[in-house]
Amino acid sequence: MQKLLIVDDEEDVRDFAANFFRKRKLDVNTAGSGEEALETLKVNKPDLVLLDIRMGGISGIQTLAEIKKIDQDIKVVMVTGTRPEENECYHECIALGACGYVHKPLELKELELVVMTTLQPEGKKV
Amino acid sequence: MSLLSITGLLITITCSILILIFIVYGRTKLHRLWTIVNVTVLIWGVGSFLAGQAKSPSAALFAWRIAISGALCIPVTLYHWIYVFSGIKKRTTLWLIYLQAILFCLLVIFTKTILNNWHQLFGSIYYNQANLMYYLMVACWGYVAYLPLWELYKFSKKAKGIQYIQTSYLFFAILIAFIGGASTLLPAFGLKIYPLGNFGVGLYAIIGAYTILRYRLLDINIIITRAGLFIGVYTLVLGLPFAITAYYKNWFIEKFSSHWWMIPLGLMGLLATVGPFIYIYLQHRAEARLLKEQRRYQESLKHAAVGMTRIHDLKRLLKLIAHIVTRKVGISFTSIYLYDETEGVYSLQVSHDKGRKPIVNVSASQEIILWFQSKGIPIVREEIQRFAVELKDKMFKELEVEMNMLEAELIIPSFLDKKLIGFIVLGQKNSGAMYSTDDLNVFQVLASQAALAIENAQFYSEAKEMQAQISQAEKMATVGTMADGLSHQINNRFYALSLIAGDTLDTIRLTDVKNCSPEVQAMVKEINTALERIQVNVMQGGEVVKGILRYTRKGDEGLVPLTIDQIIDGTLDMVQFKVKLQDFDIVRDYLKDIPKIKGNLVQMQEVFFNFIDNAYDSMVERRTTLKEPGYRGRIVVTAKPSFGVMKLYFADNGMGVKAEDMKRLFTPFFTTKVSSRKGTGLGLYVIRSIITETHGGKISVQSEHKKGTTFTVELPIFQEKYPQEETL
Repeated sequence: MQKLLIVDDEEDVRDFAANFFRKRKLDVNTAGSGEEALETLKVNKPDLVLLDIRMGGISGIQTLAEIKKIDQDIKVVMVTGTRPEENECYHECIALGACGYVHKPLELKELELVVMTTLQPEGKKV
Repeated sequence: MSLLSITGLLITITCSILILIFIVYGRTKLHRLWTIVNVTVLIWGVGSFLAGQAKSPSAALFAWRIAISGALCIPVTLYHWIYVFSGIKKRTTLWLIYLQAILFCLLVIFTKTILNNWHQLFGSIYYNQANLMYYLMVACWGYVAYLPLWELYKFSKKAKGIQYIQTSYLFFAILIAFIGGASTLLPAFGLKIYPLGNFGVGLYAIIGAYTILRYRLLDINIIITRAGLFIGVYTLVLGLPFAITAYYKNWFIEKFSSHWWMIPLGLMGLLATVGPFIYIYLQHRAEARLLKEQRRYQESLKHAAVGMTRIHDLKRLLKLIAHIVTRKVGISFTSIYLYDETEGVYSLQVSHDKGRKPIVNVSASQEIILWFQSKGIPIVREEIQRFAVELKDKMFKELEVEMNMLEAELIIPSFLDKKLIGFIVLGQKNSGAMYSTDDLNVFQVLASQAALAIENAQFYSEAKEMQAQISQAEKMATVGTMADGLSHQINNRFYALSLIAGDTLDTIRLTDVKNCSPEVQAMVKEINTALERIQVNVMQGGEVVKGILRYTRKGDEGLVPLTIDQIIDGTLDMVQFKVKLQDFDIVRDYLKDIPKIKGNLVQMQEVFFNFIDNAYDSMVERRTTLKEPGYRGRIVVTAKPSFGVMKLYFADNGMGVKAEDMKRLFTPFFTTKVSSRKGTGLGLYVIRSIITETHGGKISVQSEHKKGTTFTVELPIFQEKYPQEETL
């Protein structure tokens, strides 16, 4: 089973997204902050991280950098409330190795698509 | 010198002075006629003076010829004067009496048919003996003298106010004069009554002049006082030495023998030196007493004028002005009218009176306004009435009608920089007195001070409004900066909602409800629909937030290549929440492959947002105001590249901009939006700054009222000089 880590400071987001992806046979873990995410990461390495950019504590971008430090292969998709063009972060995230960039609010179907296609290659490998 | 001569001399002097005054100050036909009357009285005066001095029959004949000729002409000229004053229509009477006067004058001067048979009376005065012709002449004279009195009496029945006072004064003055003058002729009939009545004639001339001069040409009180004082002082200065010499000549010769004349001469010299000072002193005292009342309110008006500029509340200022004028001067009412730019009329602002129903609006085309604009001086009702009668100019009749409508005695214009900003209407003075020249001067000072004060007050109220608008704009800016944080929060809510609904929908989809009861199946269906609706709403909510963010973003990220479509699409996204897109058409009049412009998307969207917003308001205004059948709002966006510059035309077919607003279109805080949702007026000002400063372009506007407006924007085209990575 592929592992998914959902990092978002919103409880509702974590719970319902997790529920959704569990129905799709993914092993989902959640974290409420960048620090929590890094902690969980060390114990349980996910295949894909859905990373919210704007959080309290360390920012999403910093978390991304840290994740990549721990393991380059972990795929990270950034989630943000602003349009990608309007955010300098875009380039930074890509530079740091993010695989994708989505912005909220999006329909669950879109989110599903992004996650599934990003994980696909891995899945096929197995 | 006999007393008759003295009276004659007095008449001569007073008439000369009066004639002089009227020549210098007289304006109207009436004034000129009165001068003629005075001349005839003068002739009588000279004649009676000479008659009193005559030492021989031939001298007496000469003297009386002059006197009687004058006497004959007096009632005739007087009648003529009253003919004009009261507007008598029948000219025949006038011609007849002139005729008879000329006839008798000729007879008197060139023949001896009337004046002959001289004998001395009262010791020294030669009188003729009345014969048939004399009786005839006097009878005619009596009738002609009666005529003006009769007309005056008739007129006094019709006259009102000031005219009534004038008429009654005149009536009694003339009566006294004729009686007095006639009495001098009595001795000719054998009645031995000394002709002292001649004093009456002199008196009447003065009263008559006083009455007429109550027109505001001169302050008659001053004239009388000055003339009276002058005569008094100089009679003393000159007369005293003469009198002393005359009576005490012998005593002087006794005392001082050959140099006796030095005493009276010295006395005269002394008095002549002191005379002017006495005159000035007495004049000051007299005027101070006479004008005390007038000076009092003139002073207080002047003080008020200075203090006025400190009041900033316009209404309060106007009320104060009206109150001061009414109370201090003692007027029945005061009304102030100010020019209303939007309506184009002079509307009543304040009226201090006792329950009148004044006229509310005076249009700018009325005669009163035209008078002010061309002459710039106050209008006095008496004057206008006089002119209306004398000059037969329709304009004066119009003015009179308008003034009567306003119930005005006096209207003072108020100018600011040659522009008539308003006027003050004054009713009659409570005392019934006329408005003097001094009064008018003071009022004009008041009016110009008032103009300044009013402008001041208007500035203050505009400044206050601007303050309010600035703080409103500041608030909006604050909201803008808050919007960032807020929208993130709101977006998070939408995201959460989206996930919750989506996940639950997903669960429902994955769950098999075939084996559930129909009720449960129905319930599941209902829940499914509800969640779908929630998702739709969430999506829409998200779009709204995106729209806000686009608008409030500072967007100073530099200039990038943009397509016009990009800009318009983005703008429509935002503007759909403010205007009803279905109410008008947008036509994109440009080729699909026109070059991109170099710009900032957010700012350009703000520019177009502003254009569409203004165009929409203008089109709505046209629709509701002109109500043309089949009218549909339309915006055409045209773009043409031209020498490295993209020319954009943004044309709407709305109400257009009024000519007088065109200049102020781009000024900050200018807005013509009268809806409750007033624009901050910063739109075009900011737009121009965005276009010219940030983008290095140009913006101009053409408009035709009731046809539409076109904004022309020039922007630099994006030149692909260096290979640039295009962002999403």
